[in-house]
Amino acid sequence: MSLAVGRAGAARLPLGLSVALLLIAIAGGALFSLVTGGRSDIGLAAIFKGDATSAAVIRDIRAPRSLAAALIGINLGLAGLALQAVTRNPLASPSILGINQGAAFGLALALIAPHAVPLPLDGMAMLGALAAGILTFAIAGGFAGRIDAMRLILGGVAVGAFSYALVRFAYTLEDELARSVVRWTVGDITDIRWPPVLRMAFWTVSGVIVAMLAAHRFNLMAMGQDVAKSLGADPRVTLLIGMLLAAGLTGAAVSVAGPIAFAGLIVPHMAKLLFGQDHRILVPTTALLGAALMLVADGMSKVVSPPVEVPVGVVVALIGAPWFLLQTLLAEDLE
Amino acid sequence: MTGRLGLTYALLGAAALAVAVLSLAVGAVRVPPGVIINTLFGLDGPTQDFIINASRVPRTLLSALTGASLALSGAIIQAILRNPLASPKIIGINSGAALAVLLAAIAVPDLPLGWQPLIAIAGGIAAVSIVYAMAEFRPISPARLALIGIAVGFTCDAGVDFILVTADTYDISAPMIWMTGSLWGRGWQHLEAVWPFLTVLIALGLALAFRLDLIRLGAAQATSLGMNVRIERLVMLAVATLLAAISVSVVGVLGFVGLIAPHIARALVGGASRQLLPASLLIGAVLVMLADAAGRAILPPIEVSAGVLTALFGAPFFIYLLLNRPSHGDE
Repeated sequence: MSLAVGRAGAARLPLGLSVALLLIAIAGGALFSLVTGGRSDIGLAAIFKGDATSAAVIRDIRAPRSLAAALIGINLGLAGLALQAVTRNPLASPSILGINQGAAFGLALALIAPHAVPLPLDGMAMLGALAAGILTFAIAGGFAGRIDAMRLILGGVAVGAFSYALVRFAYTLEDELARSVVRWTVGDITDIRWPPVLRMAFWTVSGVIVAMLAAHRFNLMAMGQDVAKSLGADPRVTLLIGMLLAAGLTGAAVSVAGPIAFAGLIVPHMAKLLFGQDHRILVPTTALLGAALMLVADGMSKVVSPPVEVPVGVVVALIGAPWFLLQTLLAEDLE
Repeated sequence: MTGRLGLTYALLGAAALAVAVLSLAVGAVRVPPGVIINTLFGLDGPTQDFIINASRVPRTLLSALTGASLALSGAIIQAILRNPLASPKIIGINSGAALAVLLAAIAVPDLPLGWQPLIAIAGGIAAVSIVYAMAEFRPISPARLALIGIAVGFTCDAGVDFILVTADTYDISAPMIWMTGSLWGRGWQHLEAVWPFLTVLIALGLALAFRLDLIRLGAAQATSLGMNVRIERLVMLAVATLLAAISVSVVGVLGFVGLIAPHIARALVGGASRQLLPASLLIGAVLVMLADAAGRAILPPIEVSAGVLTALFGAPFFIYLLLNRPSHGDE
């Protein structure tokens, strides 16, 4: 068993302290996200004065939005973690592998022809995510047993470009949708309300549970497919679990916010920098870190260029894209 | 062999002509072939002067010219990088040019049209310089080069998104359409802004063709044959960058044309650059004219952006290429 722990011992801070700091970051991010917004006069203090309007703004507009941001961070972070684990590729993430864009296409279908599709919005997004994921993995050779790293990434980018073209084609058909296309295609949670957030919470909780149960398998996978096999964890099963998990979590996030890119890439990396390589620790900490990052990004999206709110997906992309570039340059194990 | 080549070129030329006529005929208003001929050659009978002469002729010419430029750019880039996956978009030219044009549109709203190509060039060169500098920094595989280009492109795209969502809607309504790679609303004034540059560059690119064959042999062999490989590569990369960036400045981000056209050309006329470049040129023109015409014909009066169609067909083609190269054959 000691093998599975890997380099976890290299964690920089005591685990308890790190988690405490993360929780503080989440609380700070949540506060930041709650007190910023169009009505800058409405802060937390306003609630305690018993002002009904302020309370309504916080309760009905800002609270669901903040919670949505946190849940999206958890979903995308865990999806990225699972993909990186099962593909053993540091660049894997929902947006790079085309899964985000696949979910967006599924969602666009459901929005345009609600009666012609078999599933509700989040179901269609998950179905789209799964289809794109399967396609990318097939291109990379995942089902034949060996994933080619370059084919995985380049194939994913192509699958993403294809799905994204389909999304834009779908928008061309429907004028009403086209109006919100810019904000929506980059990931936006401005107008979110409670019902979709609660639905998403169900998926997030399920996803965290599945990820916790699969954490040990992810550790075995990190040691190589052959080692994993010899220790009784069939790599193909792990791959399947990781893909279903990533597709479900990504689909749920996209159905609420649209395709937010790069969160799924950078959050797991930050977690690995802070907490080492043991997925039993990485799963909960990635979730916490994702929530913290998205809460801060949501707060920033409201204060970067007032009075215009920058969609949160753009804030994340402005941080995440340069990170991806840096990582592409530095990654040693791609060839 | 020459007979077969001649036939191939004749067929390509005929295809270009046929697609050009198609492009003149389709759209919100269908114009029958007889009327097109009457209008173009000033014959008696029913004519459609405004639709044909003021709208569709410049648009068709522009799509042919930009398609040819993108394809030539792609063929040159694939040859000098010796990378079948490379294309102007993959190595970041398109996104860099797009970001620069958009920045300029926001900073100086009433910028004359003539400046746009120059700004696009600056952006394209900046993006390519980053990618190229990375490739010089240490020996890297073609696939990693593609990846670096994609990452530079993503970074530029993030900047583009930021500008699009923060700018006033009025400022960006035109850039929005342009971003998706469309020839909508393009007319004579756009053609006038770019054709002198593009024709000169196309001529230059074709003139360099035989030197490309030497480079394709590999740096060592080319040097031993008396070439200064480093300089020549830079010159050719510059030509390719300018071709793509100027095209992007008028028609926006038309992905995958620069990737696909050279591959189709290679299948038809073989890999020698002297044949490959002219064939790529014709095929690129046909592809973009066809994408633009199809975009107008599918659901009139709605126009589907040509860029959407090139991505819908280009992305699967890219995957096909990816699957048909040896998985660890990164040279």
